[in-house]
Amino acid sequence: MVDMALSANAEASAAAMSRTKVLGRLRARDLVFRHLTRAAAILVLIILSGVIIALIEGSLPALQAFGFDFLLEERWNPVTEKFGALAPIYGTLVTSFIAMLIAVPLGLLIALFLTELCPMWLRRPIGIAIELLAGIPSIIYGIWGLFVFAPFLQRTLQPVLIDWFENVPILSSLFEGPPYGIGILTASLILAIMVLPFVTSISRDVFEAVPPVLKEAAYGVGCTTWEVLRHVVLPYARVGVVGGVMLSLGRALGETMAVTFVIGNAHKVSASILAPGTTISATIANEFTEAVGDLYTSSLIALGLILFVITFIVLAAARLLLLRLEKRVG
Amino acid sequence: MNSLAGISHGVQSPAPTIADRSIDDAGKPAAKILIRNLNFYYGDNKALKSINVPLYERKVTAFIGPSGCGKSTLLRILNRIYSLYPHQRAEGDVLLDGANILDPGQDLNLLRARIGMVFQKPTPFPMSIYENIAFGVRLFEKLSRAEIDERVQSALRRAAIWDEVKDKLQANGLSLSGGQQQRLCIARTVALRPEVILLDEPCSALDPISTAKIEELIDELKDDYTIAIVTHNMQQAARVSDYTAFMYLGELVEFDTTSKMFTSPGDRRTQDYITGRFG
Repeated sequence: MVDMALSANAEASAAAMSRTKVLGRLRARDLVFRHLTRAAAILVLIILSGVIIALIEGSLPALQAFGFDFLLEERWNPVTEKFGALAPIYGTLVTSFIAMLIAVPLGLLIALFLTELCPMWLRRPIGIAIELLAGIPSIIYGIWGLFVFAPFLQRTLQPVLIDWFENVPILSSLFEGPPYGIGILTASLILAIMVLPFVTSISRDVFEAVPPVLKEAAYGVGCTTWEVLRHVVLPYARVGVVGGVMLSLGRALGETMAVTFVIGNAHKVSASILAPGTTISATIANEFTEAVGDLYTSSLIALGLILFVITFIVLAAARLLLLRLEKRVG
Repeated sequence: MNSLAGISHGVQSPAPTIADRSIDDAGKPAAKILIRNLNFYYGDNKALKSINVPLYERKVTAFIGPSGCGKSTLLRILNRIYSLYPHQRAEGDVLLDGANILDPGQDLNLLRARIGMVFQKPTPFPMSIYENIAFGVRLFEKLSRAEIDERVQSALRRAAIWDEVKDKLQANGLSLSGGQQQRLCIARTVALRPEVILLDEPCSALDPISTAKIEELIDELKDDYTIAIVTHNMQQAARVSDYTAFMYLGELVEFDTTSKMFTSPGDRRTQDYITGRFG
């Protein structure tokens, strides 16, 4: 009896021992994992602050030399070393704006079609085609834009636009000058094509998240498909759509290669969107290798800082907008 | 009257006989909706097997049965919500005032305005409380601002929610509690002045107080509307309905007045289900 009790006791304590060991091991693993995730998160902060510090440090000479005028001056003269960022800032904002003007409605229409109206068998092919569009490297868009798209626009769209708006007051200055093919408009169209997949696929995901029962309820009060989309699906998906649009805008602002190919790279602010211009990222990509002199390099880095700030403002604006929307709903 | 012979206690009579009997019977009210030989398919899966059942005008008909027996499916046929989905199809006749609503030429928007539906989960639209009601009304009627105000108010009153929301009509519908949202949805349905109201487990997500309010509401609404309600709650079916249909595995087992169904059901399975022996 005593033997049995002893052995049972020994067994129990052995089990407890092994359990403690296992628990200890698990705890150690937990600890390692926690530190690992924390380190990964901190790494992001380090990289981000590193980039910001480098940008500010690099752009200091230019900002000291030109001051606030750097933002307002159109001149960009490497010979006399007088630099101003107005033309690239203007080009960046205008190309992105026109691109979003085209891509957002188009992307929403495609997303609505895919989620609500498209027959099942067509859904996958179109969806995959959209995703492939997002997968094309931007350099290919650039080559295609320069050799195919720009000459095509030069022959077709641009002369038509010039003709149409020739005698319309205000609008005529938007579409004046010779059809070069390349220019702000062409860059905007390429950008629109490039961000279209993002707008579409984010909107599609958001629309798919609308509860089916909500749509059924709307159909249940006798809504037509259009009324369901307009009054139920779109308002319900509003927050997500705004988020998607802002993400796409961020991408359009920073897009470099394709734009560099087709925008014309002229440091000029012109009213006509057919005229060549430049964007911040295009300027940096084009001129960094040939930048001689500290002030030239520093001015380019200052451009980078400005782009960073613009992108940050866009993201912050998106956050604010979303917060306000949520508050109104909540 | 021949068909009456088919119904005696304990004998399982074919469903058509029961339905026919009820219609033939002169003492019974007229059938607003008559379902005849209805089959329903989800793809290749047959979900309803030759259902025959009437919905009597200005009466409440409860559909009971274990989960997956086809109650909700039946309701979804009546306003043709199933037509939104490919691969779902119905065969047979569903006569609304004598006209077959399964007819491919049926105007679905009009049909859904005549047959309103309230779902299991509250489904307020993402807009203000006022707009939730006014939106549906505006779809079908051109009314002045004052008339719409009037309609909104009377619908909210009918759904017993007016006192709770009258000071915040511009607040978002989603800001209400679950019970309030459900009553808002009922108000939305009532505001369209439908002829038939379908309720698909309207109280399953609600607390007892909200449930009691909605049951009271159903009692009031049946003065004007024909109502079909799906419920898992036996007591609720017994409380609110005039007629009860018991469904099992896609078949209609038994249909009769609620008092008869709950006191002396004709079919063994009905009795077992009502007394809680299965389901």
